[in-house]
Amino acid sequence: MAHALEITDLTKRYPTGTEALRGVSLDIESGEFFGLLGPNGAGKSTLIHCTTGLAQPTGGSIRVFGHDAIDHYEEARLAVGLAPQEPNLDFFLTCEETLDYHGGYFGMPRKERRERSKELLDAFSLTSKKDERTRTLSGGMKRRLILARALMHRPRLLILDEPTAGVDVELRLELWQYVQKINSEGTTILLTTHYLEEADELCDRIAFIGAGQIAATGSAEELATEYGVTSLEDAYLALVGRKELSRAHIVDEVP
Amino acid sequence: MTTAQIRFLSLVRREVNRFMKIKRQTVGAPLLETFLYISVFGAALGSRIKTLHGFDYVVFVIPGLIMMAWAINAFSNNASSILQQKFQRAIDDQLSSPASPRELLLAFSSGGFIRGMLVAVLTFTASSFLVDLPVEHPLVLIPALFLVGFFFAQAGVLIGVRAEQFDDVSFAQTFVLQPLIFLGGVFYSASLLPEPFQTLTHFNPIYYMINLVRYGFLGYTEANIALSLGLLTLVTGALFTLNYRLFARGWKLRA
Repeated sequence: MAHALEITDLTKRYPTGTEALRGVSLDIESGEFFGLLGPNGAGKSTLIHCTTGLAQPTGGSIRVFGHDAIDHYEEARLAVGLAPQEPNLDFFLTCEETLDYHGGYFGMPRKERRERSKELLDAFSLTSKKDERTRTLSGGMKRRLILARALMHRPRLLILDEPTAGVDVELRLELWQYVQKINSEGTTILLTTHYLEEADELCDRIAFIGAGQIAATGSAEELATEYGVTSLEDAYLALVGRKELSRAHIVDEVP
Repeated sequence: MTTAQIRFLSLVRREVNRFMKIKRQTVGAPLLETFLYISVFGAALGSRIKTLHGFDYVVFVIPGLIMMAWAINAFSNNASSILQQKFQRAIDDQLSSPASPRELLLAFSSGGFIRGMLVAVLTFTASSFLVDLPVEHPLVLIPALFLVGFFFAQAGVLIGVRAEQFDDVSFAQTFVLQPLIFLGGVFYSASLLPEPFQTLTHFNPIYYMINLVRYGFLGYTEANIALSLGLLTLVTGALFTLNYRLFARGWKLRA
């Protein structure tokens, strides 16, 4: 069976000369909850943008459930849902219209769009706001709507680019619960985050990315073992060359 | 309806929905502006000029005003819509959908085209109540207006994609488009101009557009109709091809 996401030797050089991705290869299994960790500027968002068509790779290949995502991308794009890092809602649209148009862009018939948007507005507690324009929503509501929009066309691969950055504890836990639920129902998830406990809690496997290259891949325990440490946090600190920030000794000193 | 048709209609609906939500600004204001021109140039100035080439001055002016309304609305709508969506990054929702470059280009063009057509039709209908406005050559008039609308819709898309800030759009409209339209002979007959202005006017492409539309309404022209229609078709096709290539490359839209 084809991988949910199969990236081979992906390179991306921006016109400025910056090499954001330098030969990235990565396989994500169908049904997996996969984390992508790395410091700012490591290439996480570029990798996601190349997968979703928002950036054009310089070289390499991307396949989503076996479908080419670069040149003949229609099937691949249908299979992917993206919740981007920055809320990018259309201020002219209401919440319901946001979902309805998105469903339309992905070819869903009107009846199906109506049912699905109602279901998602309910699931994300946005029903009372359905006729409000998106610019009137609070930060948390915008985050929820962005996730609902990503799920609108029932993608088999959901990409979450730092979905919990800047959200309060309740919403973070709520989002965790929701994405765990849809993962258990079969949706493959690719998550980027700066919260290591989030990756530790949610992800089956994690890849470390640094300077445009995959440095290591494995479960949290496997990564810790690979870096000769005891936690995902210390493995990450080893990746970014900041071992001196480790809090392991604090834990050791507790009687 | 096929998936591709649903997708294209949704992209178009978004563009039409945007300008209809702010119709006081996008339809009401241009209508008022056109009627102010008719009042000032038709009623006030017309009382002194009486006739031009055998037509009441106001009747001579209205075809150019209808063309100008379509052109400016098609241009400014598309340039603003695309730039706004780029600013909010809301455009990523369309760009990461399965839509092809051709579908995206035609859909982004459609908003301004339809808005221009709406203002032009309303101006024509209202003018018909006020003055006796003939339609001598509908088979020239309709294709000419459609080509003019499509040309400026494409020009608006190009400027919107290229623009980095709103100043870029208003610069193109105020310093390029409006002078060309005003100096193309909307309010006067170029044959009345002294040299070298008469000859210079012949280098203004909009002069030929106005002549085509005026010929369609009044049967009067100062330019060769077949040649003008041929050239307009050619430049509109060339602009569409340029835009298509830019969209296919993802120029200024995809990183």
